[in-house]
Amino acid sequence: MIIRMVRVRIAGRRALLDRTLALLQDLCLLHVDRPHLPDAMGTDSLASRERRHVERCLLDVETALDRLHIAADSAPVSQPISLRQAIRRARRVRRRADALAVAAAALEDERILLVRYREFFAAFESLVGHELAWPDQQAFYVILHAGSGAALTELRQRLETTLGGEVEVLHRELSSGEMAVLILASSRTAPRVSGLLSASRVEEVPVPTGIGEQNLVRALPAIKNRLADIPRQLRAVEAERQALAESEGAWLCSRRVMLRDQLLRLNARARVFSAKHVFVIEGWLPRPSLADLEHRLQNDFGPEVVVSTVGLEDRASENTPVALHNPPIFRPFEVFTRALPLPKYGTIDPTPFIAVFFPAFFGLMLGDVGYGLLLVLIAVFLRFKSSPDTTLRSVATVALACASSAITFGLVFGEFFGSLGRLVGLRPFFDRAEATIPFLALTVALGAVHVVLGAILSVFNQWQRGHRREAMGRGVALWMLILITLALLAAFEVLPSALFTPLTIAIFVGFTVLVALEGVVAVIELVSTLGRVLSYARIMALGTASLMLAIVANEMVGAMGSVLVGAVFALLFHLVNFAIGLFSPTIHALRLHYVEFFGEFFSPGGAEYRPLGHWHSSQ
Amino acid sequence: MQMQIALLGLAAALAIGIPALATAWAQGRIGPAAAASLAEKPELSTTAIILVAIPETMVILGFVVAVLILLRTGG
Repeated sequence: MIIRMVRVRIAGRRALLDRTLALLQDLCLLHVDRPHLPDAMGTDSLASRERRHVERCLLDVETALDRLHIAADSAPVSQPISLRQAIRRARRVRRRADALAVAAAALEDERILLVRYREFFAAFESLVGHELAWPDQQAFYVILHAGSGAALTELRQRLETTLGGEVEVLHRELSSGEMAVLILASSRTAPRVSGLLSASRVEEVPVPTGIGEQNLVRALPAIKNRLADIPRQLRAVEAERQALAESEGAWLCSRRVMLRDQLLRLNARARVFSAKHVFVIEGWLPRPSLADLEHRLQNDFGPEVVVSTVGLEDRASENTPVALHNPPIFRPFEVFTRALPLPKYGTIDPTPFIAVFFPAFFGLMLGDVGYGLLLVLIAVFLRFKSSPDTTLRSVATVALACASSAITFGLVFGEFFGSLGRLVGLRPFFDRAEATIPFLALTVALGAVHVVLGAILSVFNQWQRGHRREAMGRGVALWMLILITLALLAAFEVLPSALFTPLTIAIFVGFTVLVALEGVVAVIELVSTLGRVLSYARIMALGTASLMLAIVANEMVGAMGSVLVGAVFALLFHLVNFAIGLFSPTIHALRLHYVEFFGEFFSPGGAEYRPLGHWHSSQ
Repeated sequence: MQMQIALLGLAAALAIGIPALATAWAQGRIGPAAAASLAEKPELSTTAIILVAIPETMVILGFVVAVLILLRTGG
């Protein structure tokens, strides 16, 4: 159900604006909207400057919280301080946190680099004796990728062909499969070696910066010392971060809540008309809450702030925000309504209909006691893992409803993991494996009921919104649908065949009226409506497919030679079928609602009701 | 008679096979487009699921026709 809203205008002395907004924030009732006043609204430059300061301070606070790894839950509000002081403190903490984060990241990067190259260093170290034998010559350190033996041979040949005996190439394979290559060349030939390496697109191993040594082998002792020193420095940085988090964490958390609240008030203030002496706030609230708002404003401000309701003639109902309110049993199904844009104000909330039909369709498709019991386990697990009023809790409740439906229909069909129902004593009241045509007829009939219900809602919807001609057109289309169904039943002699002729005449008359009311497009709409009814045959198709897969799984026990192997395969197959049985009916039941059912009456595009309230961490 | 049953079986297979290919082709076109849209606007996930599921009507109707054909053959 969509709650009936009322638009109110709150006017008062300009000096009371901030206090009024603070009270409205405490009440969390008013969805603030721009006033529909004849005069253009002046911009509140003071408020926009304050907003920029708050946003900047909030950015500093949230960045510092992130850098200091503080989970920013709601915290007790600290002593109020001026915004200027808060900005200075937040900036100081953020800069310190930034510096610590940068230092830690740099140390960590350096450590990762050195650890990565440690094996390379060890390999080159074992070749160092050769370099020392050529003390006045130049060494090149190269890493070749795994499986590049051919590249090494080619490189060696090119070097020896070009430089003759003035170069020596040594190599060692690393555990990663890469190749550490040391090339020793005389000072005279070194530039040519460098050129050849560049031409071969082979890169030298860079000496880590900060070691103060260009030669890799001679830099090795310094690198080892650095590797030993980095963890100590990292611990020092971490200790400093923890100290900063302990000293500033609580202040940052509480400041974040205060700034967020302040920002919400400032955002609301941007939609308030304020002149030199007065202010006017307009907004929406649920009609039953109006008395509460009036009472609180009267109590706090007396006659200095007045509330009045805005008449229908002064507002456009298109802008009215939408708040859904359903009985607790239906409320979890709002998750499906909210998956699409909300319905417009004044139209129909489809949640109660989804709550009835979605589990029914799901149960008809899955229809198995065993799979239903497995789904109960999943639903109970999700329920224990979720908090109240969360999407996960809604999903758990919907899953429980679907599981109950699957068990109920499983009992009707006599199915327990497919054909095992017979073994545990289940007797089908309706055997869907055998009664294919009746099952098909049942699902199409269910589709006709669902689509006709959608059409009735559409007529009601259009009539309520004052679109009388459209409502009559939809009404005639609805009658056409019913007449065509009856005529088909008469043609197939389900109903007395004598009814066929009068029904056909009625269809022709209805057809003429329909074209007169809605034009030729209505005919195409009518045909597509019939297609929508047939679309419900998917319930039968998916249900039968699920049953057949379960039967195949059971037959694996006897088909594999060994009973044990067969049982394992059967279990795996049932698991796969259960996964398909969860996913496929959900998607198709949703599709039947969103496309076939909603298409008849649903009017998306409503703005969500967002009252001015306090910020909380889940926002 | 045997030939008639075989032809009816073939007709049933074609009744579901051709729409299945058509559905696969349509979903093959819609799927990448939906995935690309989701990369930019994750809030479109419900719409994407619906769009991918829409062509399945073809194969469902094909299935119904195939069942009717098979039941006419008595098999």
